[in-house]
Amino acid sequence: MTQATPLRPRKLRRPGASGLITGTAILILLVLAVLALAADWITPYDPLRQNLMHALQGPSANHWLGTDDLGRDVLSRLIYGCRIAVIAAAEATAIAILLGVPLGLFIGYRGGWWDWITMRVVEAVVSIPGIMVAIVIIALLGAGLHRAMIALGILFSTSFLRLARGVVLAEREEVYVRSARVIGASDSRILVRHIFPNIAPPLIVQVTLTVGAVLLSEAGLSFIGLGVQPPHASWGTMLNTAANYMDLNWFLAVPPGVAIIVTVLSVNLLGDVIRDNVGRGIATAPSAAARRRKVRPAEPVTVLPAPTEDEVLRIEGLTAAIVPEGGTETPIITDLSLSTKRGETLGLVGESGSGKTLTGLSVLGLLGAGVQVTQGAIKLNGTDLLTLKPRELEQVRGNQVAMVFQDPTTSLNPAFTVGSQIAEVLRTKQGLTKAEAWEKVVELIHRVGIPRPEERARAYPHELSGGMAQRIAIARALSCNPSLLIADEPTTALDVTVQQEILDLFRDLQDEYGMAILFVTHDLAVAADICDRISVLYAGQMVEMAPVAELFADPRHPYTRGLLSAMPHAASGEPPLPTIRGSVPRPGAWPVGCRFGNRCDFHTAACDHPVPLEGQNGRLIRCVHAERFKLEAAS
Amino acid sequence: MFRLLLRRLLALVPLLFLVSVLTFSFTAMLPSDPVDLILGDTGTTEQHDMLRERMGLNDPVVVRYARWLGNAVQGDLGTSFFNSVDVTRAVMQRMPVTLSLTAVAALIAIATGIAAGVAAALYPRSWIDRLATIGATFGQAVPNFWFGLILVAIFAVNLHWFPATGFTPISQSPWDWLRSVTLPAVALGLSSSAAIARQVRSAMVGVLQMDYIRAARAQGLSARRVILRHALTNAMVPVIAVLSFQITVLLGGALIVEQVFAINGLGTLAITAVRQQDIPMIQGLVLVMVGMVVLVQLATDILYGLLNPKARPS
Repeated sequence: MTQATPLRPRKLRRPGASGLITGTAILILLVLAVLALAADWITPYDPLRQNLMHALQGPSANHWLGTDDLGRDVLSRLIYGCRIAVIAAAEATAIAILLGVPLGLFIGYRGGWWDWITMRVVEAVVSIPGIMVAIVIIALLGAGLHRAMIALGILFSTSFLRLARGVVLAEREEVYVRSARVIGASDSRILVRHIFPNIAPPLIVQVTLTVGAVLLSEAGLSFIGLGVQPPHASWGTMLNTAANYMDLNWFLAVPPGVAIIVTVLSVNLLGDVIRDNVGRGIATAPSAAARRRKVRPAEPVTVLPAPTEDEVLRIEGLTAAIVPEGGTETPIITDLSLSTKRGETLGLVGESGSGKTLTGLSVLGLLGAGVQVTQGAIKLNGTDLLTLKPRELEQVRGNQVAMVFQDPTTSLNPAFTVGSQIAEVLRTKQGLTKAEAWEKVVELIHRVGIPRPEERARAYPHELSGGMAQRIAIARALSCNPSLLIADEPTTALDVTVQQEILDLFRDLQDEYGMAILFVTHDLAVAADICDRISVLYAGQMVEMAPVAELFADPRHPYTRGLLSAMPHAASGEPPLPTIRGSVPRPGAWPVGCRFGNRCDFHTAACDHPVPLEGQNGRLIRCVHAERFKLEAAS
Repeated sequence: MFRLLLRRLLALVPLLFLVSVLTFSFTAMLPSDPVDLILGDTGTTEQHDMLRERMGLNDPVVVRYARWLGNAVQGDLGTSFFNSVDVTRAVMQRMPVTLSLTAVAALIAIATGIAAGVAAALYPRSWIDRLATIGATFGQAVPNFWFGLILVAIFAVNLHWFPATGFTPISQSPWDWLRSVTLPAVALGLSSSAAIARQVRSAMVGVLQMDYIRAARAQGLSARRVILRHALTNAMVPVIAVLSFQITVLLGGALIVEQVFAINGLGTLAITAVRQQDIPMIQGLVLVMVGMVVLVQLATDILYGLLNPKARPS
């Protein structure tokens, strides 16, 4: 993932809901603990007292949850079941920790044969279904609560063992542990002081997982008669009884079942919350795009030439903003206008955060979740893309406009061969048959300068070098002969020697296909090489636009000058490269006036008012001192 | 592909060997004396000694293990201590029952789990996502056998849509088989479905943020195509490991769910064997179950290789 996702909340649940859930879960577990401790005093009846005259009754005033097949009070048995559940969870988890953690620490720290043999045994045990392992151990020890819990403790110790071993393996190579060893700290001291703090958080998470699993397993084992033995009451044995009387009194199954679910749910939810806070949480999604707002039409544009016949792209007064759900908009591109024609390469140059990539993505209608165009028009071959329905825009993508991304190794799908990815576009966009598409694929791969195209078409992305992968990405982008190609830093991720080849390829292909190229880059040297005209962006605004030769000979905006003097070729080499002081202000923190003002050496009071973009003959500049710089250059 | 398969198969040999050692040594530690179990209090001391000699129980444990393993490799898992039942035959008789229950439950869990996970990932924070997340959290807290009881109460006892108990082999009547297997399979599959849904959602959310998804969209491929083909294929790679584990869980869970529906599968056999301390039966059952788990792992390994080209040996 190279691009930053603008909105990425860490937690799935809103803080309020999360707090409520955590609170409820803790409360339920506390109630459970109290019931377990106080069972002897609060139960209305003796859980073992039979009364065959009142067997299998439904809930009543005397027996709130009814009676079972022997006339025993279900509520009393349920409360005693809490005690069993607490004992079971505590016993099995404690055994699992006491067995697994020290062994895991030991083999992780010791390594070698100890580690190898233990891990093979663990693998073998884990490959047997857990309940079967428990059953076999119970066969050895005999049935009953404590024996069953020893069985479960042994079973679950494998996960604690692996956890402890993993932490030790990761930590023992950490610098601070190694340096502790160098200064002569003893092994046990290292284990206690350095490794224990790192093992605690995942351990707590694992405990919650284990407690939940133990409760379910204990219920299961008691249900099949290998855990708690009748007549003692556990939730599992109660369900065993209920199973025999489903047709006479199905309600018997409800109280113990609900007790198990609520308890396990509380433990699991608590575990989720802990896991989120410990930072091992599952990835959460950015929120879905807020409802599409209406795009306001562009203000009349004065800086663009009148539309011509060979104009391909015309962006008028484009404004895009981060639009959070129910929050205020933060503009990230403001009032951007530009146009480009057939066979021309227009460079969009700027530092990261200037809005150049977002401009490219807004043409495709692929701004990320939470980012939207709020004003303006994007006309491609005369059609305003902002007025199209999603389905219509899908038609335009690939056929009329395509994009080449920065990192070719991540922009190709790792699961499919590169040839099939190009063929897929040809088949879905142009309706070619499988054979026709494949023929064209080989031709395209040959055209972008890859030798042995038929063989390469069958390669997966990871089998290709970066330069070759980028050639494939270019071939895919050009497969439907689009009139506009957006290239987003297409050479940045490549070796310097390969960069030039790719730039040459762009030039050749443009000569052959005649498409317009919108070339996004932060590198002025690359832009000088490939572009016909360059548009310099700064903090979401265009600050200067000029044909490439004029821009380099006579840069007028102080920012452009700064960029040029920071280029290695421009400086003489002996003094260190000059840099522009400060950094690009973040969206939302832009000054009202000139956005470059706080970094500019020529800053005056006039710069504190909004500065318009002005100019003629294809030279545009956004600076109150423009005239002065022009005269300076002339003299 | 063939070489990958061969390599995986060879890697299984030491694992199976280790499991057989573990199983044998564990069951050899069982407190009861097989001869006492078989003859009970009857028989003279001579008869006891004769049987002991005939069963080879006086041999060193290594010899006994080698003999047992040698027979097991040839498909002979020995004879039960009770009723002189042939273990291999008893296990093979019950296996189709447990296997079909596990397979149907796995199908249900995979289908519903993936569908729910994908839907939740596509519309994060929508009501679908919330419903799927809450459902998955609940699903993992519900004991499968309790869910089975409730299903019986509703759909068998009250509505009479399905039989409450029993199992019809598919060879006897496919329709009755489907009716008999539906409720237990749903009960068994619930928690796995929940676990898979959580994994799929998390994997999809990660994949949907990848560059190649945006690149595919930029090429004008439809959202549906990009999600179902490009994203799901990649999201399944981490899910495969969970699938493999969940099928092992299902196989274990089947032992318990069988009891709810009075299905005569491996579960009933195992529980009886444990109660009776029937050593050959327990050994045979464990070995056969591990064999099944290992086959599932092999299948998921191959699937992993198919979905993830980087895992293939070039």
